[in-house]
Amino acid sequence: MKTYRNLAGCVAVTAFAGVAPAFAETPPDTLVMARNIDAISTFDPAQIGEVVTNEIILNICDSLVAIDPEDESAVVPAIAKDWTVSEDGMKITFNLVDNAVFPSGNPVTAEDVAWSMQRVLKLGFGNAATLTEFGFVAENAEADFVAIDDTTFEMNLSRPYPTALILQAVASNRVANVLDSELLMGEEVDGDFGNGYLTTNSACVGPYALRQWNAGEAVVLEANENYHGTPPNVKRIIIRHVAEAQAQRLLLEQGDIDVARDLGAEDLRDLNENPDIEVASTPMHQLYYMGFNSADERFADDRVRLAFKYLMDYDGMADTVMAFLGMPRASVVPLGALGALDEAEGQPFSLDLEKAQSLLTEAGYGDGFSARLFIGTLPYASPIAQHVQENAAKVGIDLEIEQMANAQLFSAFRGREFDTIMLSWQTAVPHAHGMLSRHAVNPDNSEEAALTMFPTWRASWFSEDFNQRVDDALFERDEAKQIEMYKEIQRDHMQTGPFAYSFQLLDTAALSDSVKTWKWNAFRAYYPLIEKN
Amino acid sequence: MTDTPATPARQSLRDWLQAPTASSPRQARAQAFWRGWQRLIANRAALAGLIVLVLLVAMAVIGPYLTPYSPLQQDLTARLQPPSAQHWLGTDDLGRDILTRILYGARITLMMALLVAAIAGPIGLAVGATAGYLGGWFDIVAMRLVDVFLSFPSLILALAFVAALGPGIENAVIAISLSAWPPIARLARAEALTVRKSDYIAAARLQGASSMRLILKHVMPICLPSVVVRVTLNMAGIILTAAGLGFLGLGAQPPSPEWGAMLASGRQFMLTSWWLAATPGAAIMLVSLAFNLLGDGLRDVLDPRND
Amino acid sequence: MGGQVFRTVVSVSVTILGLLALTFFIGRLLPLDPVLAILGDDASQEAYDRMVVKLGLDKPLWEQFVTYVWNSLQFDFGTSLTSGRPVAEDILRVFPATLELATVAMILGTGLGIPLGVVAAANRDTWIDQVVRVVSLIGYSAPIFWLGLLGLTVFYAALGWVGPPGRIDIVFQYDLEVRTGLYLVDSAMAGRWDIFADVFSRIVLPASILAYGAMAYISRMTRSFMLEQLSQEYIIAAQAKGASRQSVIWRHAFPNIAVQLVTVVALSYAFLLEGAVLTETVFAWPGFGRYLTTALLRADMNAVLGCTMIVGLIFITLNLLSDVFYRVFDPRTR
Repeated sequence: MKTYRNLAGCVAVTAFAGVAPAFAETPPDTLVMARNIDAISTFDPAQIGEVVTNEIILNICDSLVAIDPEDESAVVPAIAKDWTVSEDGMKITFNLVDNAVFPSGNPVTAEDVAWSMQRVLKLGFGNAATLTEFGFVAENAEADFVAIDDTTFEMNLSRPYPTALILQAVASNRVANVLDSELLMGEEVDGDFGNGYLTTNSACVGPYALRQWNAGEAVVLEANENYHGTPPNVKRIIIRHVAEAQAQRLLLEQGDIDVARDLGAEDLRDLNENPDIEVASTPMHQLYYMGFNSADERFADDRVRLAFKYLMDYDGMADTVMAFLGMPRASVVPLGALGALDEAEGQPFSLDLEKAQSLLTEAGYGDGFSARLFIGTLPYASPIAQHVQENAAKVGIDLEIEQMANAQLFSAFRGREFDTIMLSWQTAVPHAHGMLSRHAVNPDNSEEAALTMFPTWRASWFSEDFNQRVDDALFERDEAKQIEMYKEIQRDHMQTGPFAYSFQLLDTAALSDSVKTWKWNAFRAYYPLIEKN
Repeated sequence: MTDTPATPARQSLRDWLQAPTASSPRQARAQAFWRGWQRLIANRAALAGLIVLVLLVAMAVIGPYLTPYSPLQQDLTARLQPPSAQHWLGTDDLGRDILTRILYGARITLMMALLVAAIAGPIGLAVGATAGYLGGWFDIVAMRLVDVFLSFPSLILALAFVAALGPGIENAVIAISLSAWPPIARLARAEALTVRKSDYIAAARLQGASSMRLILKHVMPICLPSVVVRVTLNMAGIILTAAGLGFLGLGAQPPSPEWGAMLASGRQFMLTSWWLAATPGAAIMLVSLAFNLLGDGLRDVLDPRND
Repeated sequence: MGGQVFRTVVSVSVTILGLLALTFFIGRLLPLDPVLAILGDDASQEAYDRMVVKLGLDKPLWEQFVTYVWNSLQFDFGTSLTSGRPVAEDILRVFPATLELATVAMILGTGLGIPLGVVAAANRDTWIDQVVRVVSLIGYSAPIFWLGLLGLTVFYAALGWVGPPGRIDIVFQYDLEVRTGLYLVDSAMAGRWDIFADVFSRIVLPASILAYGAMAYISRMTRSFMLEQLSQEYIIAAQAKGASRQSVIWRHAFPNIAVQLVTVVALSYAFLLEGAVLTETVFAWPGFGRYLTTALLRADMNAVLGCTMIVGLIFITLNLLSDVFYRVFDPRTR
C-alpha cells in the first residue's frame, strides 16, 4: 500500500508545487485587452467585414480623414490635410500631408490613395458596396479616383452627394485606408493586388503597426516610430483571444488584463459595483432586428409585421437581458445619426398583446400560424428570441427557434431561405441615409438581380415609394427640410417597413483601474489616445 | 410441488431460484440471472447507480405533475432568484423555475440517451456480430468503416452532422448515434470471433441452420452482455456529448429544458448566479455517474474474466 | 510476415481513403458557405460567382474529390480561409499546444490511474475499491467545461494556486524562442525558469481536468486486467510459495498486464490528441481542437479537411503502434 501512496503523493506535489500566486500586473507601456477575436480572418482593408477587425485596422491604417474623437458626427484631417468641393458638388479635391512615410520607407502619395480605393472596387469584396452605393463602379475606378500630383487627390462623384456624407461614409472608412502600392504590387500573386500578403500583414501608415496575428491566440500592435502624427501614449497593444466571457472577467478581476470586451449583462452589472473597475459604454450605430420573409404571403402583409412589434416588453428586456448591451429603438435610424427621430418618438411600441391580436385578426390570421425563427449565437439572441416566442404564442403564433452559427445564419438570410430571422446591422455613417439606403431602398426585387447586399432584397421587400423618398431626401439641400423628410420616412417605415427593430446596441468595455483614459465613439476606438496609470 | 399449495408464491419463487439444481433450461437461465442480480446488488456503488436511475425514471414520469410551475413560463420580474422556499433551485435568466425545468429536462435527457442506445446498440451489435461470424469481405469492409468512424473525433463528427442536418434534438440523436455505433461494433465483433469456432455453433450449422439464423439465435446472444455493458457505460458519454453539443449551440433548441442547453446558457451566469449552471451541471454529472457505476457493476457481473 | 505487412498497408490505405471520403462528404453536406466566409456577407453576386470559380467549386464533385485526395496525400491542404495561412502551417502552430497539454494530462492520468486501478483490484469489493470506483468515475461523468470553469473559479480566482487561462503570459510570449512549440521544453532549454513557472502554472489545471477523465478510464481498465491476472494459477502458486502480497502484485501480476495497459494508454492519448475542444475553449488554449471547431463553424473547409486528416493519421498510427507492440511483447502471443 505504501508504494502507491507515495507515488500518488509525488504526483500531487509535482502538480501543485511552484505555483506561486504572484499578484499580476500588466506592463505600464502595454495595454492587454481580452476579446473574442475568432472573427478576424484578414487585415486587408478591402476585405475586412468584421467589427473586431475594423476597430483594429482603423488604428493601424489612416484614411483620408478620420472621425473626430470629440464629435462623432464631424471629421478631422488625416492623410488629407484639407479638401475643397467643386461648385456643382461633383468633385472633391484632397490635399495630402507631405511628410507621411510607409514603414517600407516609401512616401505616401496621391497615387497610393487612388490605387487603394480603385483596388477595393476591383477586388469586389463586400466592402466594395460602400463605394458602389455612391455610384462608384470598378469599370470607372480610374476616372473616379485620380492622383493629380503627389499630394493632390481627386474624387469624382456621379451625383452631387452631400459632401459631409461622402467624407463620413467613404473618406473616413477603411475603403479609404491608404496602402503602400509599390510594396503591394511587388507582393502581388495572380492579380490579387496584394490581398494574400495583407491577410497577415499591414502595409499602410498609422499610429500603430501590426506586429503579429495568430488566429485564435492574439493580435499584437506596436507603436509606429515613424508616424507623422501625434505618437500614441501606449507603446504596445495586445489583444488576447479569450472566447469565454467568464474567463475574461476572472482575468480582469485578477489584474491579468486591462480591458475585457465581451462581458455579459450580469457580469457588467456586478463589475459596475466594483470600485476597481470601470464599465464604459458607447452606443453603436448598430441595430438588432427581426427580419421577415415578405415572399411569404403571411409576412407580406404590413399588419402581420407590425403585430410583431407589439410582442416584446422592450423596457423589461432593456433592464435585464440587455442591460449595458442595448437600448430600445424601433426606428430604422439609430439615435445620434443626422435626421434620427428622438428617443421617445423613435420607440413608440410596447408589449401589447391585444393590439397584436387585433392586427393579426385584421390581416386574416386571427387563428395564428406557425413559422421558424433563425437566430445566431450571441448570448442575448436566445433570451430575446424566447421572450418573443412566448408572447407570440399568446396570440396564436407558434415560433420554432433554430440557433445556428453566424456563417450559417448569413447564408440563410442571403439566400432568402428563412421565415423570420434575428440579427443585427451596422452602418458606418452618423447619417439617416446610412441605414435607409439598405433598409428602405431595394433597387430591384427580382431573383435575377441578386442584390444580396440589400437586406430589403434578402427579405423580398420592395417599395417604389420608399426608394424615391430616400433618394429625394438625400439630395435635399435645405438641411431642416431634409431632416423633416427623414423623420417622415422613419415614421412610415416603422409602420410598414420590412423589419422590426428592437435594440440599438452598445459597445461595452470593462476597464481595470490601470487604464486612465479610454476614448471611443460609435465608429471608432482610439487606441493612440489610451493612457495607462 | 403439489404438496405445498399453501406456500406463498413469493417464497416458492425464491426457492425455485435458489434450488441447487435447475430442472428446466428456463429455470437455469432464471437462476443465472438471479445470481447475477445478487452480485450486482452486492456491489454498493452499482446499486447506488441503479437506484439513482430508477429515481430518475420516476422523476421523469411523475415529476412534472408535482410542480406548480410550467417549464416555459417566463417572468422577468422574478429572474435570477437564488434558491428559496418558492423556487427550490432558483430561477433562470427569464424567470423560469429551474427545478421544474430540470424535471421536464429529465425526460428529454433520458429519451435522447435511450434513443441513441436503441439506434447505436442494435446497429453496432448486428454489424459487429455479422462481421465477426462471417469474416471475409464483409468483415474487412465493415471494420474499415468502423476504423474510419473511430478515427474521427466523436464530438467533431456529431458537430458536423448536426451542422449538416440542422440543430435540434432529433438530429442530435442521429448525429450522436453515428459516432456511437462503431465502438460497439468492434466489441461485438471481438466477442463473435471467440464463439464462431465453438462446437455448438458448428453443431447448429451441421443441423442446417442458415447464417442469418445462427447470427441471430446464437452469435448475437453471446455478444449481448458485453454490448449491454458497453451501452450502459456509453450512456454517460452520450449525455455528455449531447451537453457538449448544447454548449456549442447545436443541441436542443430554446426554450427546451434539455440539461445541456440549460448548462450552456447558464454558464454566462457562473460568477453571478451560480445556480443556473450548477443545477443542470450537477444533474448531468449525477446521471452519467449513475450510468457509469451501473455499467461498471454490470461489467463485473457479466465479464467472465473476472470470475 | 510479409503478407501481414502487406495486409496492414492495404488496410491502412483503405481507412485513410475512407476518412478522406467521409470528410469530403461532410464538407459538401454542411450548409455553410465557404465563398461567403471569404467575401463577406455584403458581397455582390458577381463577385460571389467569380469566387466560386476561383475556388473550383463549379467543377463536378468527383473532380473536386480527386483534386482533394491528390493534394491531401502530399499534405497540401490549401490555405485556411480564416487565418489566411497554409493549413499545414496552422496545424504545426496549434498542434504543439495540444500535444503539450495532452502529454502532461497523460502523465498525470497514467501516474494516478494505474496505481489506483491496482489498489482497487487488490482490495476488490472492499470499501477501498468502492471509493476508488466512485472517485474516478466522477471525473468521467462531469461535463468537462463545467468542471473547467468551476476549477478556474476556485483554483485561479479564489485560491490563486494556478495561473490564468491562456498558454503563456503575454509578456513572455515574444521573449520565448520557440523551438519545439512545447513551451515547457522551450523555456527549460532556454534556461528561462521564470517562463517555465508561468507556463507550468497555466497548464496544471486544464491538464489535471483532462487527466481526471483519462485516469478514470485507465484505472478501470487496470483493475479489470489485474483481477484477471490475480485469478490465474501462477499467482496462486506464487502466493502458496509464500511471496508477499506486495510482491505478488507488482513482481508477478503487474508485468503481465503492462502490455495490455500500453494499448489502453495509447488509446487515451490518441483521444486527448484529437483535441479537447471544450477544455481548450474554456482555458483559451490555442490548440488543435479549438482550431478545428472554429474552422467548422466558420465554413473554413480547407482547415476542417486538413485537421481531420491529421486526427485520422494520429489515430491510425497509434493504433498500429500499439498493435505492433502487442504482437512483439505480449507474453501470450510470443
